[in-house]
Amino acid sequence: MGRHLLSRLWHGLIVIFGVTVIVFVVTRMVGDPVAMMLPLEATAEQRSAFEHELGFDRPIAVQFGEFVAGAARLDFGDSLWQRRPAMEIVLEKLPATLLLTFLGIGLAIVLAIPIGIVAALRPGGGADQFTVSFSLAGLSIPQFWLGLILIYLFAVRLHWLPTSGTGTPAHVVLPMITMALPALARLVMTVRSAMIDELNQQYARTARAKGLSRFRVVGVHALRNALVPILTLAGWEVIRALAGYSVVVETVFAWPGLGLATMQAIERHDLILLQSVVFTVAALVVVTNIALDAIYQRVDPRMKLT
Amino acid sequence: MSAVAESLRGRPYELFASVRGWGREIRHDKTALVGLTLVVLLVLTAAFASLIAPHDPAAQNLRARLLPPVWLDKGTWTYLLGTDHLGRDVLSRLIHGSRVSLAVGAGVVLLAGGFGTVMGLLAGYFGGRTDAFIMRWVDTQVAFPGLLLALIILAVVGPSMGSLIAVLAINGWMVYARMVRGSVLSVRQLPYVEAAEMVGCRSLRVVFRHVLPNLVSPLLTLAILEFARIVLAEAALSFLGLGVQPPATSWGLDVANGKEYMFRAWWLVTFPGAAIAMSVLGINLLASWLRIASDPQEREKSFARRAVHQRRRPT
Amino acid sequence: MTVRSLVRIVLAVLCAAFCNTAAFAQQVTIALGSEPTTLDPQVREDGSERAVNDNVYETLTARAPDGTLVPGLAAAMPALVDPITWEVKLRPGVRFHDGAPLDAAAVAYSIARVIDPKFKSEQASFFSTITGASKVDDLTVRIRTNGPDPIMAARLYWLKIVSPAHAATRQIATAPMGTGPYRFVSWNRGRDITLEANKDYWGEKPRVQKVNYRFVSEPGTRLAGLMAGEFDLITNLLPEFVERVPKAAHVQGLEHPIVILNADAGITKDVRVRKALNLAVDKKALAEGLFEGRAIVSPGQLLGSAHFGFNEKLSAWPYDPKQAKKLLEEAGAAGKKIQLVGTSGRWLKDREVIEAVAAYWQDVGLKVDVKIYEFSEYLNRLFDRNTRADAIFVVNSNEMMDADRSLSAYYKAGGVGASNTDAELARLIDSARTEVDTGKRRAMYHQAVQRAWDNAYFVWLLNIEDVYGTSKRLQWTPRVDGKILVKEMSFR
Repeated sequence: MGRHLLSRLWHGLIVIFGVTVIVFVVTRMVGDPVAMMLPLEATAEQRSAFEHELGFDRPIAVQFGEFVAGAARLDFGDSLWQRRPAMEIVLEKLPATLLLTFLGIGLAIVLAIPIGIVAALRPGGGADQFTVSFSLAGLSIPQFWLGLILIYLFAVRLHWLPTSGTGTPAHVVLPMITMALPALARLVMTVRSAMIDELNQQYARTARAKGLSRFRVVGVHALRNALVPILTLAGWEVIRALAGYSVVVETVFAWPGLGLATMQAIERHDLILLQSVVFTVAALVVVTNIALDAIYQRVDPRMKLT
Repeated sequence: MSAVAESLRGRPYELFASVRGWGREIRHDKTALVGLTLVVLLVLTAAFASLIAPHDPAAQNLRARLLPPVWLDKGTWTYLLGTDHLGRDVLSRLIHGSRVSLAVGAGVVLLAGGFGTVMGLLAGYFGGRTDAFIMRWVDTQVAFPGLLLALIILAVVGPSMGSLIAVLAINGWMVYARMVRGSVLSVRQLPYVEAAEMVGCRSLRVVFRHVLPNLVSPLLTLAILEFARIVLAEAALSFLGLGVQPPATSWGLDVANGKEYMFRAWWLVTFPGAAIAMSVLGINLLASWLRIASDPQEREKSFARRAVHQRRRPT
Repeated sequence: MTVRSLVRIVLAVLCAAFCNTAAFAQQVTIALGSEPTTLDPQVREDGSERAVNDNVYETLTARAPDGTLVPGLAAAMPALVDPITWEVKLRPGVRFHDGAPLDAAAVAYSIARVIDPKFKSEQASFFSTITGASKVDDLTVRIRTNGPDPIMAARLYWLKIVSPAHAATRQIATAPMGTGPYRFVSWNRGRDITLEANKDYWGEKPRVQKVNYRFVSEPGTRLAGLMAGEFDLITNLLPEFVERVPKAAHVQGLEHPIVILNADAGITKDVRVRKALNLAVDKKALAEGLFEGRAIVSPGQLLGSAHFGFNEKLSAWPYDPKQAKKLLEEAGAAGKKIQLVGTSGRWLKDREVIEAVAAYWQDVGLKVDVKIYEFSEYLNRLFDRNTRADAIFVVNSNEMMDADRSLSAYYKAGGVGASNTDAELARLIDSARTEVDTGKRRAMYHQAVQRAWDNAYFVWLLNIEDVYGTSKRLQWTPRVDGKILVKEMSFR
């Protein structure tokens, strides 16, 4: 196990490094951050002077050398857009995204498993049809629509909750629900379909025939076997949220997280902030994957992993 | 047996019988029928959009902006579902938008799903270096901001429906690979797979004939979820100018455009959103029926259920 | 303790928690579309940073609400000492928030700081003519320019005066300190910025005691916050919501949507085609329909009526699709393809205006190829000197309120966004830039815009209003220059 972990960490480092380098190369090839930083009416001379000051007219090899030296110290330089150290920005915004992701996706996972199981118990029955329709609706609606409607109902009409921002536990409620709902819909569908497949298997019927209680058969044996696809999707939801897909919720609720900062960095071609963000996200993805594979092993010992 | 059936011999007869068989199956499953109807309706709408749509989807009328649907105050019969922010007919845009949305959704799901499944199969089945390499590739792509990738590709290739499908597929194959890999890893150890290997089946054969059929169910579920997600993701890209260009439209783009006016003209977002929901529902119903109907065990069960039910009915 | 006194205490506590109206009424809450990334007033070109710092810092010149330039920190308007030197006398008795006096040394320092190339200020292009500043005595500063610069007073309106001691520390980026009517209190990154009234302000004491800025980028959420009573003022309100909000305030703003036509090549080379493109667009419908009356039709020039150089004699191109079709036929362009380049999500209703214009051109028989690009790709096209697209949509915002800035960029051949090679036009604009006689200068600009009108180098569209949503209790009139000055606000 130790050797395996070590090799995964090594691979993880390669991934992190690889991603950061790719971003470095690619962002310097496409688009020009200077154009976006100055007002439209600035002249061409003003632009090239600015570019010179920022060091972007130096040969790419020189820039790359400087970048690697800095990256080793986790110093990616000052964000072009915000004029302060990029890593500082990332670390400042990361907790907000982590909180939103874990609360939101966590809620979705916790609710999806019982709901999906109940639906799978009697496929085609009333509860199942209702659950399926609800889930399909849930994953077809745009997240921003859901967020705005929730704000309108609970904040503007009922005044129960604040419309946006952070600060108190009350501020977390609506963003958490908006984050959770689409993930819940997807997870419920996955849990239901996986459980239906398991419950159809011979062993389930045999176990029941042998006299095991329904709860044991479903909740312990079938669920355990169905966990692989469920875990895959749950882990995937977490990773996607961390990798920037929380941007819609963060925008609608003015939640100062990393997803929003990433999108703004892309729009402004802030290469330096992008490098910092991608580095951090890659690290998170690697860690989450290692954790996920470890959970796979525990859940399904049949799986032989590399 | 009808005269038609009698005239067929051999394979043609088998096909005819199996089609009749499926037809009989679907007739007895109400929800599946609904699903089939929805899907057929969608395909026909997309195919014959120009004939069905009451107006030109790009015909604007700045004096008739943001009109509500006909059943509300100030609505008119000319614009059944109201008009958008430029006075264009929502219904016509909905009909024409189906083409892009369905094409992009189906295209991406097939492309990303196909590629991702193959990658997942290879990673899961062969393990070792292959698995490590493919999974690290997945990790790398996941950490890379999707929007950035879209910008880069589109800066090079230029916006069009083809490049849109390519971008969404490149951003979307990873989930299939992970899902398939996970399933393959657990299935690989099963006795019959081992047996197939021992007998001497080539790896590819084992993979495609023995492992893959087990994955159909979770893959189908995933594909449907992804379809819904893709249609909406296309909205974000098109809105930024990275997808369909005006006057072409798609459901997703209409939703994105309507966001600004959500509190003033709810119909701009609700109708395209409902269209997306309907398509997803239809595809899902059809797919879940397909899943059941293609499983001989299930067909037996439903036949038995019907027989019992018929016997129970009072004569 | 009797029950009654207990109840009274509980009520008092509850009241203190929920109805501290006294304190609450003295604070105005403003929702901006984005969070400032730095509060250093001289580094970035950022509207939200300005929204905050316009209250903390001040400038040598100021503008009356209707737009006329008046002295600010200066005692009188800047005066020319020689053709390339302006002299400014400062108002005595003004202090920074930390007590240090405002003197010529601070002014000279501020000017030198913003134009220093090593400082990498995004605002440097506003002050491109300034080469240096020096102190003459404690209350007098001389500013040198690289040539005659008639619009110095307008430029100085955007140059904030900082304290040299404060600027030398890193604090200036996170804790602004100036001479203005409001002092900085706190900045909770990601949450809000708070300012409070400056008791020692040299001018008219502000009526609102505290200001709280929040950052909400989603317009629907900003609107919700206003309607829920969380905000007093929101910016960039869509005209469609003017009826929904408790109160709306609007003013003729600086933004001019316009389409730049390629006069040198392609289908737009023929002046008849360009004239047709102007005649084909129903600008009134755009103003009254698309913008719900919150815009006026632009009178054939890229200038607002309050801008220096505005030609009152020019009027808008009329809406005449029949004539447009005729002209297109004459030029042999009927049914041909024309490309319209633009972007989406950058300016108010940009995508919609582009689509509307394309539809109008389509109606007179052209095949319009609309290309909406992501912003940075769009900028590449806008600034591409070698290949100019047939038609490029842009929204011009002229903070200087002087013809030089927008004409040099878009009218003058060789300007960053110009699509013509009219040498005479370029000559007019260049001479006007350095002409110190106001009358002569104005005449030159009148000539320049007339010439551009005759040649239909652009499709002039609109001048849109800035629309704000406010709470019922807020009394405030928006400014023409778009600055949000809390000292002009009060409560009912």
